[in-house]
Amino acid sequence: MRSPSIGEGASSDARAPLIEFRNVTKRFGSTEALGSVSFSSRAGSVHAITGENGAGKSTLMKLLAGVHRADAGEIHLAGRVLDFDGPRDAVSAGIATIFQELTLVPNLTIAENLFLGREPVRGGFLHRRGMREAARKVLESVEVDLDSDLFCGDLTIAEQHLIEIAKALTINARVVIYDEPTAALDAPGVQKLERLIHRQKQAGALIFYISHRLHEIFRLCDTTTVLKDGRHVATQPTAALSHDGLVTLMVGRELGSLFPARAVAPREIRPALDVADFTPAAGQPAVSFQLRRGEIVGLAGLEGQGQRDIVRALVGLQTPSGGRVQKHDGEATPRTVGASIVASTLAGLGFIPEDRKTEGLYPSLSIEQNIGLGILRGASMFSLAQVDRRRIVSLMRSMSMRARDEHQTVSSLSGGNQQKVMIGRWLASNVDTLVIEEPTRGVDVGAKAEIYALLRDFANKGGAVLITSSELTEHLGLCDRILVVREGHIVSELTAADASEELIMTHALAAAAPLGEGAPA
Amino acid sequence: MFILLAVQSPDFFEPQNIANVTSQVAALLIVALGQLLVALIGGIDISVGSVLSLTSALIVSIANPWLAIGSALAASLLVGAANGVGVTIFGVHPLIMTLASMTFVQGFTLLVLPAAGGNVPDPLIMLAKASVGGFPAAFFWCVAVSLIASVLLYKSRFGLRVFAIGASSENAALNGVDVITPRVVCYVLCSVSSAVAGIYLTGRISTGDPTMGQPFSLDSVTAIALGGVQLAGGVGSVIGAVLGTVTLGLIANGMNLLGVSPFLRAALTGVLLLGAISLQRRRTIGV
Repeated sequence: MRSPSIGEGASSDARAPLIEFRNVTKRFGSTEALGSVSFSSRAGSVHAITGENGAGKSTLMKLLAGVHRADAGEIHLAGRVLDFDGPRDAVSAGIATIFQELTLVPNLTIAENLFLGREPVRGGFLHRRGMREAARKVLESVEVDLDSDLFCGDLTIAEQHLIEIAKALTINARVVIYDEPTAALDAPGVQKLERLIHRQKQAGALIFYISHRLHEIFRLCDTTTVLKDGRHVATQPTAALSHDGLVTLMVGRELGSLFPARAVAPREIRPALDVADFTPAAGQPAVSFQLRRGEIVGLAGLEGQGQRDIVRALVGLQTPSGGRVQKHDGEATPRTVGASIVASTLAGLGFIPEDRKTEGLYPSLSIEQNIGLGILRGASMFSLAQVDRRRIVSLMRSMSMRARDEHQTVSSLSGGNQQKVMIGRWLASNVDTLVIEEPTRGVDVGAKAEIYALLRDFANKGGAVLITSSELTEHLGLCDRILVVREGHIVSELTAADASEELIMTHALAAAAPLGEGAPA
Repeated sequence: MFILLAVQSPDFFEPQNIANVTSQVAALLIVALGQLLVALIGGIDISVGSVLSLTSALIVSIANPWLAIGSALAASLLVGAANGVGVTIFGVHPLIMTLASMTFVQGFTLLVLPAAGGNVPDPLIMLAKASVGGFPAAFFWCVAVSLIASVLLYKSRFGLRVFAIGASSENAALNGVDVITPRVVCYVLCSVSSAVAGIYLTGRISTGDPTMGQPFSLDSVTAIALGGVQLAGGVGSVIGAVLGTVTLGLIANGMNLLGVSPFLRAALTGVLLLGAISLQRRRTIGV
């Protein structure tokens, strides 16, 4: 496909859609990321793609960008079916994408980065003068006043993101995809972006805008498409939507009987962890909360709002920059933890990281070895390793682990069983407090129910559990209390029994722009 | 450094010594520039020494000088391609891959020429030893190869992509750059440059030597490390390689003149290499 100029779209029938998704489906393994999504978009408009975490927004746009191929369905561009072999084909078709992750190379200059892969040549040699000229023009349109001979590694993150945006401009695209563009921009950068999007729209381009930030959607976008669990929910003119209406479209589904009964409120409150004025990293706000024995608490909120930093600094994996975490063992005086992950583990605090495969499990070792490590917690390095196999086998049985035997390599287990191995390790080690990131990520429904039962059982026996999760239903079903995190602050504490998805989302989203501009309506 | 050496040893400015230094430096520079290419994409090639030796062996073993040079270049092309494909497509660690080819090539070389000797064709000797306007031929060889390397790295699409792939091959790929072909080409060019160095050096010493290239593998890596080339990839320059090579050559020559034992010289080279690398790591981790 040759690369058309932007003006061509305006001369053709302006009412015909430029991009049309027809029953687009995409699977990753056994997970369906997108299911039969259909909607259309017109040239000369800004089209928002929104939804919760995991709704499929990025996946849908990556299909358009040529990064993935659809398993079923078609995408039409100006009436022709798209058949991309990779991102380069999408670029040739006039589709420019600005991803959330930077694709700049730090040791090349701005000009070199802008044209990497499409470098202009003259007589076989790099046409550096041409590159600099073109770079200057493009930088002007993004209102960036930087010398194009600067190295990208020397720029600030916000500047790098502006260069990433400028790169898309060198393509002369008629479809531009922005994936959470304001996440890494400073305030002036956001304004530059908005002016740029306005100019692109005037020139007849179709702009897709993936974002969580509802105030931006209402300000910038003409049309809004809502996705939920990979399915298309609605596509409407933004003017026809209200803030609350949009939130309702994004959430709201059946809870089902996935979750065990919540704990009855204990007569006396026995604290497990006291977190006081805790700053996970320099520049982050301080948080304070308490985790009690017998309860499961969830840190909710949109992804990347600071939950991970809080949790990792709490257990000692990252060095916090202030505050105090104290663990109560049932003895008179509480112990200060958080110095290091090893110390935390010895103090009875078990941590399960998000990424089992690279951070938690030893994939080439057996179930017995992986769980057995837990039994050896606290043992001296030179002591004889006494691992009671019968104990491990009975633990596996009580967790309903589906494996041939305790010698099976964990890398060959399903996600759900792998997660059970992780939990089993801590159950075998007799810790009394668990901190878990994304307890059921990549776990099928059946195993989810079993894992929830395990965690509730652990809590009922006097343990305490702190989880982070991007699934609201998980918070509502499993947790007793939900702490909503936004931009590093704990903005609200909800009782799960009285909460709803809409309520959590409302607290998690910023209705007004930055924090401090007033509570959401 | 130059001044230090000049002061310390009265023999330094002897014309024979200057000629020695330049010829040693010339051969090392040609190999170092090849090594620079491989280092820029984050690899390493320790087979350069044996390719150089093989070239020398082939030149004195094949009667027709054109055929000799042609087969030496062809052999280096094959070795380079094997290295490149092994590392890039089969994922073998560059150190292991080039160690394997080094051993193979060295063994093959000793088969071709078991001991030093043989006749080098006169035109080649002249090319390596002649003087033009007071400048030794070595100087022109150095300038020519440096110019070719500079044009390749700074004025071509290939060069730009080499820097990009060295810094971040994932991001380069996301920008639509083919990350396989340029890497293989770097290994090929490295081997070919070793062959060119072998052609020059054989002409210079007018005889074939199957172990001539032995010190070049480590020395070329040391030279570029001294010249600020980051062995992790993406950072380096032709000027850096030149400066590093000259420095190393002067140090070696200085030690010879001062009568330093060759064993101590090797030890000192090792220490230099370690020093240069640890300076790099500090810069990378920002300490």
